[in-house]
Amino acid sequence: MNNMTLYVKKDSPIHTVDPLTKLLFAFYSVILTYILSSHLPVLLILLTTFIVLLTGKVFKYILPVIGVSFLLIISIIIIQGFFHPSRATVLFEIGPITIYKEGFSIAFLIALRVINMVAAFGVLIFTTKPDDLVNALLHKGLSPRFGYVLLSVLQIIPQMVSLTGKITDAQRARGMETEGSLWLRFKSFIPLLGPVVLNSLNETRERSIALEIRGFNAKGKRTYLREIEIYRHSRSLKILMTVVFMSVIVWRFVI
Amino acid sequence: MKNNSMWSFKLSTAALVLIPAAVGINFIGKLFASLLKLPLWVDSIGTVLSSMLAGPIVGALTGIVNNVFYGFTTSPVSFVYAITSAVIGLVTGIMAYKGWISNVGKAIVLGLVVGFIAAIVSTPLNIMFWEGTTDNVWGDALFALLLSKDMPLYLASFADSIVVDVPDKVITVLLSYLIFKGLPKNVKNMYDNTGEIERL
Repeated sequence: MNNMTLYVKKDSPIHTVDPLTKLLFAFYSVILTYILSSHLPVLLILLTTFIVLLTGKVFKYILPVIGVSFLLIISIIIIQGFFHPSRATVLFEIGPITIYKEGFSIAFLIALRVINMVAAFGVLIFTTKPDDLVNALLHKGLSPRFGYVLLSVLQIIPQMVSLTGKITDAQRARGMETEGSLWLRFKSFIPLLGPVVLNSLNETRERSIALEIRGFNAKGKRTYLREIEIYRHSRSLKILMTVVFMSVIVWRFVI
Repeated sequence: MKNNSMWSFKLSTAALVLIPAAVGINFIGKLFASLLKLPLWVDSIGTVLSSMLAGPIVGALTGIVNNVFYGFTTSPVSFVYAITSAVIGLVTGIMAYKGWISNVGKAIVLGLVVGFIAAIVSTPLNIMFWEGTTDNVWGDALFALLLSKDMPLYLASFADSIVVDVPDKVITVLLSYLIFKGLPKNVKNMYDNTGEIERL
């Protein structure tokens, strides 16, 4: 129905895990890489995340998403490598440029953390339908009204994107220039954006009337169209992950 | 004029429906900015506009939902900046309520303040998560220059955020202000919790 999500439909053990368990996994995984400040443990966490992605049969889909963050990673490596305040030991020199060992080491650690952040949330994003995630949150007590807000973002944006195509064509047909100097392009911003904004704000009016008619604000117990899915091992997985998480924290700060 | 404090806002249906629309406007603003090859992000027009229309709380919620949405569809890195987005919505909402959108001059001041505060909020996040760099070439070039002059990390990182955030937010707020001024009255009244007539 919508093409905004990155969900990949596959048949894997990870796909059948409770969305909240995967959410918890993502948080623990990211927090651990920031608590641990040496390369090897962070690399191990990253490998664990990659193994989970492989188990979920979605490993190849994570690469373009890491690509989106590639600029960030590159800039971290270049800037920290050259200029980190604790620079002292020269790693190697390329002509006038000197790369320092300390900065490069820190940059490498941060790069690992960034990749792990992307990959850990990737586990959740690629293997969970947004509907299932919101549904799971609703059963945990999220307000149904707010659940609607989260899901409708995914439906509204494709609609608005298709509208922008029409508006761009219509404005061009009226003779508006969308190519040329920076100022010219900048001037066409408002005539393009204005109609989309006005249209979508007007639609919110109709949408809120339609919703209220259908009992959006109704009090009382709600029923669900979708059955509550039974996820196996949900509790034991959460406990297992929490135990691992806690023991790493204890290991890091106490011992 | 009873009960019209900006905080006493009950999330009406109209206000809730505004949130996804505003996230959509953010998305479209960014889309047009890249379509027209503008050297700015302009990715928070919707957040700013929703704060102007419906107050700081809706603005902050829009900011959070926006970054959660980007986190799930483009890059999980944007989860980190959900706080910054929320603060942008909050600050705009408060200042708009206090009358800082009554003319262009004030709107520019509002943009400067929002940009400045966004930079203040982003700096600790940038230092915590990636030792101070942002994702912007110009900002990072300045960051590198300041570090090579042995400036402290937090100062260099703050400068990095400032040169990126302030111009971007001034333009964003100015564009939002122009659009806001052009909106018909019935649209504005819809989110105004004092407008008894238009209440749905």
